[in-house]
Amino acid sequence: MENQLKYSQTNENSRLNITKVGSKTSLLLFRIVSFLLVFSIWELAGRSDISIAFPPFSKVFLAFIEMILSGEFVDAYADSLPPLLIGLLITVVGGVIIGVSIGLVRGAEWFIMPLLIIFQTAPVSALIPMLTYIYGISDTSKIVAIVILGMPLVALNSYKGIQATSPSLLEMSESFLASRANTIILVILPSAQKMIFAGLRLGISGAFIGIVLAELLITPTGIGDLITYNRFIARYDKMFATIVSILAIAGLTLSLMRIFEDWLFPKEKN
Amino acid sequence: MVYLIRKILATVSFIISLLATSSLAYADDVITFAEADTITGESLINLIAFERAKARGVNAEAISLQSDDLVFQAVLNGQVEIGVGSAYAAMQTLGADAPVRNFYQLKKLGFLCVVNKNEIKSWKDLDGKPITIHARGSGTEAISYYMEKVHDIKFSEMSFVPGSEVRGVALMKGTINATFLDITNTRLVLASDPDKFGILDLGDVDGSDSLLFARSDFLKERAGDMQILLEELMRSAREINADPTLPAKLREEMGLLPDLPQELVDEITPYFETAVKQGMFAEDGGGLPAALGDFDFLVASGGLKGPASNLNPDNFWNFELLEKAKSALN
Repeated sequence: MENQLKYSQTNENSRLNITKVGSKTSLLLFRIVSFLLVFSIWELAGRSDISIAFPPFSKVFLAFIEMILSGEFVDAYADSLPPLLIGLLITVVGGVIIGVSIGLVRGAEWFIMPLLIIFQTAPVSALIPMLTYIYGISDTSKIVAIVILGMPLVALNSYKGIQATSPSLLEMSESFLASRANTIILVILPSAQKMIFAGLRLGISGAFIGIVLAELLITPTGIGDLITYNRFIARYDKMFATIVSILAIAGLTLSLMRIFEDWLFPKEKN
Repeated sequence: MVYLIRKILATVSFIISLLATSSLAYADDVITFAEADTITGESLINLIAFERAKARGVNAEAISLQSDDLVFQAVLNGQVEIGVGSAYAAMQTLGADAPVRNFYQLKKLGFLCVVNKNEIKSWKDLDGKPITIHARGSGTEAISYYMEKVHDIKFSEMSFVPGSEVRGVALMKGTINATFLDITNTRLVLASDPDKFGILDLGDVDGSDSLLFARSDFLKERAGDMQILLEELMRSAREINADPTLPAKLREEMGLLPDLPQELVDEITPYFETAVKQGMFAEDGGGLPAALGDFDFLVASGGLKGPASNLNPDNFWNFELLEKAKSALN
């Protein structure tokens, strides 16, 4: 009986592994095909007579390489990354702490939830120029813009994750006489992990939107300056290359977050 | 099934008729002037010309877009007919094949360098200090580089803050100590604390602040209408130069900018008096002398790649239309 069980488990595992390997390869293939398809359509659209302001992909790619080699990207990101990283840190740490707190403490829920919902639904980008009146033209305005765009998403998702903890799991921990701290660390947080990480991914996307908006609307420095200046002098290839660079960095950050999540909570346990 | 097909057909025909109606609404003959500034009392020089052109059968309107680069892009793509601003750098990038040309100088640079007098008393005091300007490639950046040359100084940093009103607030809040402001905001800042704020003399800065530019195919297609508009623009510039109180009077007579707040209405005549004194409104639309002046100024300040003598005015300007309008008016 035991052997039978072992055999069936091994069989199941190898089947799962085969499916996993197969799906990973095909996923990669699909991704490459999807990128190629988008770039090809872009190339064709750029070469057609849509607008002089819409260059083909090949021209943007060359501009991208040129901007890496000339150090334009290095200079621009040296300006943009410090406020982005500080804003991201506050968004991630603050968002999770606030979300978990309002999920666990009823008083905090009543106090903070309305504010979060307002920030989530309000057209925050319209408020960004107003930040200059409060925080001036310093990096603080940019950090605040990042936080108000990203943090509500992280906090609300973390809160929903905590709220969605299965009552039977809570009953189980109660029946095992687990302390409140143990229940939170061993039951509630692992159960909310998926929602928390989904929130973190959304929050990081929000933070990237925040830094670009802030640099376009408050003070054109860093990548915002590259976008506006290259548009001003009609170097549309460089403008698009800058936009592609920020998309690539945002995509890379989200992938790193995925790897971190997989490392923290290995797939088998999810 | 038949019922469902009928419903789908009805929906499709409704959408098509809606699209047809909206495209008819778009297909008007109004000539749109887009600028990267709010339409205020300072725009009266154009608005008066538009009103008079309307009486001669040409409809024009002014709209505001977010930035100069967006204005140029909108003109390039044919989404608006006329751009107001300076697009020399973009035209140089696109070269002789650029489909856009300047055709009229609306006003010359009218910025003033406003400083916190407690910190800065002369240009030499700005050596090694930061200065705040509108944006990269803007007229204020060109003036900054020009001033560095003239006074043999070097700013430690040029930070970009779009909008005179925002830079004015930053100056009053003490966030910055030196910047370039337009006439209206200079007046507001100086009035807020005359002991604290002062002006540094810019000397002889002769460059265009706002030019009119459009696609060459549009200028050809609507040459008759554009000539009428240019005649009226020149006529209002000449009349305002002779009497700076005219815009405020005509605003009331013609019912222009009816929602303008009283405090901005009060600023109209002082603005035009200062602007006329500074010679901001050319009476002949600039033309070749303006183009050559701009080349010298922009090459000296790094806004255009030089030398100025190598730049071909025909790659940047269409002079034909202006010449016709000038001879018709004279």
